[in-house]
Amino acid sequence: MIDWAAFLLVLVSALVGACVVVSAYALGIRLLTLSGRTPLVTPAEFTDAITIVTPAEIKAAAKRAAKAAKKSPLTEGQKRLALFGAWGCFALSAIAVLVGIYLILGEHLTRLVGGA
Amino acid sequence: MDLTLIVVLVIALALFFDFTNGFHDTANAMATPIATGALRPKTAVTLAAILNLVGAFLSTEVAKTISGGIIREGDGGVLITPELVFAGLIGAVVWNMITWLMGLPSSSSHALFGGLIGAAIVGAGLGAIDFPVVVSKVILPALLAPLTAGLVAYAATKLAYAITRRYDGKPDGRDGFRYAQVFSSSLVALAHGTNDAQKTMGVITLTLVAANLQAPGSDVQWWVIVTCAVAIALGTYMGGWRIIKTLGTGLTDVKPAQGFAAETATAATILASSHVGFALSTTQVASGSVIGSGLGRRGSKVRWRTAGRIGVGWLLTLPAAGAVGALAALVAHLGVGGVIIDAVVGVIVIIGIFMWSRRSEVSHHNVVSEVADSGRAVKIKRNPKPKRKAKK
Repeated sequence: MIDWAAFLLVLVSALVGACVVVSAYALGIRLLTLSGRTPLVTPAEFTDAITIVTPAEIKAAAKRAAKAAKKSPLTEGQKRLALFGAWGCFALSAIAVLVGIYLILGEHLTRLVGGA
Repeated sequence: MDLTLIVVLVIALALFFDFTNGFHDTANAMATPIATGALRPKTAVTLAAILNLVGAFLSTEVAKTISGGIIREGDGGVLITPELVFAGLIGAVVWNMITWLMGLPSSSSHALFGGLIGAAIVGAGLGAIDFPVVVSKVILPALLAPLTAGLVAYAATKLAYAITRRYDGKPDGRDGFRYAQVFSSSLVALAHGTNDAQKTMGVITLTLVAANLQAPGSDVQWWVIVTCAVAIALGTYMGGWRIIKTLGTGLTDVKPAQGFAAETATAATILASSHVGFALSTTQVASGSVIGSGLGRRGSKVRWRTAGRIGVGWLLTLPAAGAVGALAALVAHLGVGGVIIDAVVGVIVIIGIFMWSRRSEVSHHNVVSEVADSGRAVKIKRNPKPKRKAKK
């Protein structure tokens, strides 16, 4: 029958792994916004049903972000620290992606190299 | 029976199955980045095709049994003949084409198991099937995969929104999740390539062994690796636009943060399951993730009617592919003529389904644009601004 211990291991490791990666990236975005560099990424193609963004709206969003950055209560030092933290979080997410690639390919690559 | 003819037919059909597996599963990795505009539709399917190709070349370790223990193979069980594999593949391919026509994401592995089960029952009766293995390898994972992925995606989506939420009305920068979506969806595509192409490599290799054209236990031949890798990559590049539409916009309206959370949940669940050795279907995991992410965002709605249709499709996969496989096996028992009849009828059915699909074509041009157009036409109420809970 089913190996419930293995299933529980899958559930817990997937939950922890996904939450760590998503939290790290989200924290990176939060810190980047705090540092006054709000990421504005328009869709490559307007396929999303609700977020239809016109060029005027994109301009307005950029203006709003610049205004918010100007009015930030943080000092320049704090903003630099937030930026540093943001890049740290993004680096953590990148490491997680590399670990994922290693988990997918590591075994195969080892076998290929060993077999050569 | 002329062994060469049946082996050639099995190889051709297995490669076509690999192709359908590719276009059926493009949506697993690329539906959400296409829906949020993180990637252009054509760029997304090209990226997925390249990663599937790379994955297929890197992973060539094939299974030792064709059915993963579902059919009692070998001594005291069913003799796996090329005819049985051929009939099983017909069942799997026809079911894959039907679910594609209906835009339903369904597991190609389960379709293959279903086809083989049907063919084996015709050949050797119900005793040929190990039913406890069917329950533990197909039925329970079909329930657990979407539940697990849904729970993981729900938690990840909640976290993504909680961390980036701004109560002061200033820009939250959630557009930035679009960059991350490119990487998370690529991980899913790569994982898919290392898993799914080897399924067909296994079918072809075990058929060659059964026909005494390859020594048992020998490595996969290079041409099998190349043809399987190219078939799955080509299928992925063609893009199963109907299924992309269902997964990208049919279940819930996906936003960049949701899309990233869903793809990360899919990648984490697949990686964890393949490393623990608890096999879960990529399609069922991806569908569960999209639903979980829909439940995790405030104001988002899950279209349970569509989710229900997908669930019914999963329930029917095994018996429907099994019925077609059984029918094909009955005809194949007539001899060479039966196998040729199977092949001709199979081709006619596939062409028929393709022609039927042309009546309401879905391609990269209109994969989600209809919904986008409706978004332009209708004023959609934006989500209310977040408010802090009042302190008691």
